[in-house]
Amino acid sequence: MDTLTIAATGRTPGVAFDFPAGQLRLTGESYPDDVATFFGPIFTALRDYLAVPGHTPIRFDMELLYFNSSSAKALMNIFQMLEAVAKAGRPVAVVWSHEEGDESMRELGEDFAEDLRHVAFSLREVPIGGIG
Amino acid sequence: MSFNLFAAEEQAVEQARALGERLKEVAPDCVAGFEALIESFQRSIREQRRLLRVSDRLQAQLGTANQELERRRREAETALVELREAQRAMLQAEKLASLGALVAGVAHEINTPVGIAVSCASHLADATGRLKTMSESGGISRGDFARYLATAADTSDLILANCERAAQLIAGFKQVAVDRASSERRRINLGAYIHETLVSLQPKLRPAGHGVSVSCPAELELDSYPGALSQILSNLVMNALTHAFAEGQPGGMAIDAAPVGGDMVRLIFRDDGRGMTDEHRNRVFEPFFTTRRGQGGSGLGLHIVHNLVVGVLKGSITVDSAPDRGTAFTLLFPRCTPDDPAPPAEAPVNPPA
Ligand SMILES: Nc1ncnc2c1ncn2[C@@H]1O[C@H](COP(=O)(O)OP(=O)(O)O)[C@@H](O)[C@H]1O
Ligand SMILES: [Mg+2]
Repeated sequence: MDTLTIAATGRTPGVAFDFPAGQLRLTGESYPDDVATFFGPIFTALRDYLAVPGHTPIRFDMELLYFNSSSAKALMNIFQMLEAVAKAGRPVAVVWSHEEGDESMRELGEDFAEDLRHVAFSLREVPIGGIG
Repeated sequence: MSFNLFAAEEQAVEQARALGERLKEVAPDCVAGFEALIESFQRSIREQRRLLRVSDRLQAQLGTANQELERRRREAETALVELREAQRAMLQAEKLASLGALVAGVAHEINTPVGIAVSCASHLADATGRLKTMSESGGISRGDFARYLATAADTSDLILANCERAAQLIAGFKQVAVDRASSERRRINLGAYIHETLVSLQPKLRPAGHGVSVSCPAELELDSYPGALSQILSNLVMNALTHAFAEGQPGGMAIDAAPVGGDMVRLIFRDDGRGMTDEHRNRVFEPFFTTRRGQGGSGLGLHIVHNLVVGVLKGSITVDSAPDRGTAFTLLFPRCTPDDPAPPAEAPVNPPA
């Protein structure tokens, strides 16, 4: 599988995983009716991708504006998977976007970065309405 | 000491660490696995903390969204109240404006006979003054006297006729104006009433040379609300003048009234003007629909007409029109307006089965 692209809907995020380029991106809002159904295939694809050793740097763009608790847990799991490959030596960057003035989203990003030791984590402030 | 939501979990970790120390002595091969267990327990606590933050954030957002919703709801309600008030005020203004037009029409119409009467009276006064001077100087000839008599007869005839005309106009206007203002019910002769209403519109009709033909059986009587009827007719005529006819071109209008089946009257108002498209025709009775926004159109004229026909005359109104084919409004209403239905009685009790 080269890429995984899922268009955003009102309740589910847009997914743009370009595996050969190492560019992974989640955008929009995430509060799916059924987290397992939505995130299941994403996890499978990501796990398969990360299982194959490679040296291409990986960049994960977290551009969700709004997500529920289950999606938050899914994000933490993804971060954990990325942390594992980073620990094994692959360069991995996570960029956490938040809208200008959205302090609580920025703080959440810092909280989520707490367990990332080998991943290069950064925050990115974007103008309101500038994500997507 | 500050309050710690996760005190119990942290205490459990401490205990596990102590247990790990003892494990080093009794089961050293289990230590690595046990430490991994502690590590994953700690991570799970950190995740739990984050999840609490996420869920607190969501709750806060929900609260803000609800407040916002409530604020918007209140705003919308206020806007609705203001809109209703503005609509009421506009309807009132429209009513007053047409009453004002009526009064202007009255003044204009009466001006003519009164003006003639005044100039005849002054002519008569002059002639009388001259005769008086002659009589004082003792020199009235037979011819002078005969001329004076002729003048006096002519002018007094004119004065009388014009004063009668003025009195007649005033009587008609008075009735129309009172009806318009009072919304009282009474018996009227439809044909005569249509004519009285048209007289008040003469100043608008005459200069442009517009004509209104009326066809109505002489004996057709109504027991209804003449004020509403006169307002309806004048709105329809005024609309034809503003919308149907090109500037400076005389147009034709016709009012046809006839009884239908004994109890009802059909009244058709027609103009031979430019008509309208289907799209406009479908919307003419909508409040505020106007093709003359910013040029004196309020879009309330036909809305008021519709409300008066349906609400006051208890009838119906339809419109028929096509571009360049003129426009016809057809009103169908009872000759004797039924009383408003009594407020609904209490729901009947179910009869025993
Ligand atoms: N006799 C008519 N001929 C052509 N169009 C008309 C006629 N009467 C009304 N209309 C159309 O219907 C619209 C609504 O009329 P009305 O409710 O009286 O509002 P207004 O006269 O203020 O525009 C007018 O703007 C005009 O476009
Ligand atoms: Mg009008």
